Amino acid sequence: MTHREKLLAFLDTIRRPDRALDVDEREGLVRSGLIDSLALLEIITWLESEYGIDFAERGLTAADVTSIAGILEIIESRQS
Amino acid sequence: MFIELSPGPLSEPLSGRRWSPAEIRTHVQQRVSRYRRLGLSPGDRVLVLFGNRLEFFADLLALWRLGCCAVPLDSRLTDYEICVLARAAGARVALTSGEPPAALCSALGALGVALADTAASDAGDAEPAAPGPALDQDALILFTSGTTGQPKGVVHTHRSLRARWMSLRQSLGVADFSRTLCLLPTHFGHGLICNSLFPWLSGQELLIAPPFQAGLLLELGRILDEHRVTFLSSVPSVWRLALKGSRPPRSGHLKRLFCGSAPLPAHLWRGIQEWSGTREVWNAYGITETGSWAAGTSVGAFEPEDGLIGEGWGSVVKVLRARTTDTPAAESEECAPGEQGYVWLNTPALMRGYLERDDLTKEVVSEGWFLTGDIGVRDDRGWLYLKGREREEINKGGMKIHPGDVDLVAEQFEETVDVSTFACDDALYGQNVAIAVVLRSRDDETIRRLYLWVRSRLAEHQMPVRWYVLDAIPRSSRGKVNRDQLAQSCSSLTPVNMRSVLGH
Repeated sequence: MTHREKLLAFLDTIRRPDRALDVDEREGLVRSGLIDSLALLEIITWLESEYGIDFAERGLTAADVTSIAGILEIIESRQS
Repeated sequence: MFIELSPGPLSEPLSGRRWSPAEIRTHVQQRVSRYRRLGLSPGDRVLVLFGNRLEFFADLLALWRLGCCAVPLDSRLTDYEICVLARAAGARVALTSGEPPAALCSALGALGVALADTAASDAGDAEPAAPGPALDQDALILFTSGTTGQPKGVVHTHRSLRARWMSLRQSLGVADFSRTLCLLPTHFGHGLICNSLFPWLSGQELLIAPPFQAGLLLELGRILDEHRVTFLSSVPSVWRLALKGSRPPRSGHLKRLFCGSAPLPAHLWRGIQEWSGTREVWNAYGITETGSWAAGTSVGAFEPEDGLIGEGWGSVVKVLRARTTDTPAAESEECAPGEQGYVWLNTPALMRGYLERDDLTKEVVSEGWFLTGDIGVRDDRGWLYLKGREREEINKGGMKIHPGDVDLVAEQFEETVDVSTFACDDALYGQNVAIAVVLRSRDDETIRRLYLWVRSRLAEHQMPVRWYVLDAIPRSSRGKVNRDQLAQSCSSLTPVNMRSVLGH
């Protein structure tokens, strides 16, 4: 399973039931209505547990986790 | 009752806009002039359909100058809910920020509610200030439940609000509030009366931000530093996100933090202390009916503990054996230290009552004492601890959702036989909304139509996140549902996969 597939599978579990997972990769997940604003915490927690990313060490800006592309960049930068 | 109310500066940290007190006066006078031309007069109730912007505060002061009563509403409500509340309030005018959706305009128009865009006020003449309201005129109506049926509107007069602010000045001072940030919604007692109006009308600077915006919370440390914030209040779910995603503040300006509206676990409390670099993190206990903050942890040295509140702020706090207003609080026996009982408050900041609902008011107010619905205990030092809540209420990260409001919508669906809404555990919010339904037909299409029916009538934050379709909902011989027991029995069942049912 690619990182992208894993991420989409996770987002599928936290998205609003009446919103399809067909947002543009650069589009804001909250702005598109796919997830609730505070659900970003779930994404951060998932990144910590799934990829061992320590945000206290790495730091975080809102732009990092608000789109699919931003989240994939975090994962890939951690891999490199 | 004398208390000088002089607004401090207002600013929006995200947009960079800032109004000085002199500019605020002009904006208020422009609104007084325009709203008078629109025909508003003393006693009129005015919906405010937006919040958390500079204009909201200018509108509030202008309405008060005209003797009107402001009714701030949650902008996330559906058109259906807004109309229910507009009807209950008997509103004449609704203030908007921008053009509202056409469907809402026409629905409010049908109720005789005129719309006025706040932005149009800033271009007009500025008349000298009107004389202002009398102390016992209604100032504010905050709806706490019943958005789908029988609204419960908490009515505060200018006297009760001033009593709250005066008691907070006496209990807390104002020095630590010199640059107060509000991240809470302004239709909410905690956010409006205490986090915003108390410091701002005491001449301190209020920095107002959009509520619950994750992007802002992830950069909270930087924002606190850049804007030299000395104080903010919030709710536990906001802190969970900020602590996880934001770097701590470094500038040392922060003097004090409050957390309220939902239980603050000791581990989260310690986490906030550590993150913020201050031990001055207090649990603030308040209820909209008492003008919000009525007690808190201003007790000197303390260690965070689950349920710890502390002492009253301008309120006499008692833990009594009386669980209803049938026995006057003054005649009820007080619980001994360590003995659990019912929390009652006596404060001059008590609401005038619930809007047109004397029956509900009598259930909670007795000879000036307010029955909070919370179960508490006092220790040997007299400190208050909360142990639970007796009223039916789902506390979703500080947002109070009344199961009856959700029931009322779901039971109107044509295929519903029975329904009961209850609280389920939620790692992020503490609690969330779950619903059990009995349907005439339980196929996916019926469930899909039920979801869409409810979705079109309930605001997003009230929507159930777990749905259970049952054969029957257990009821007592008197026909009552025990929602806690229902929650327990549903916890072993698999909820409906609503994403699959909705076909996304």
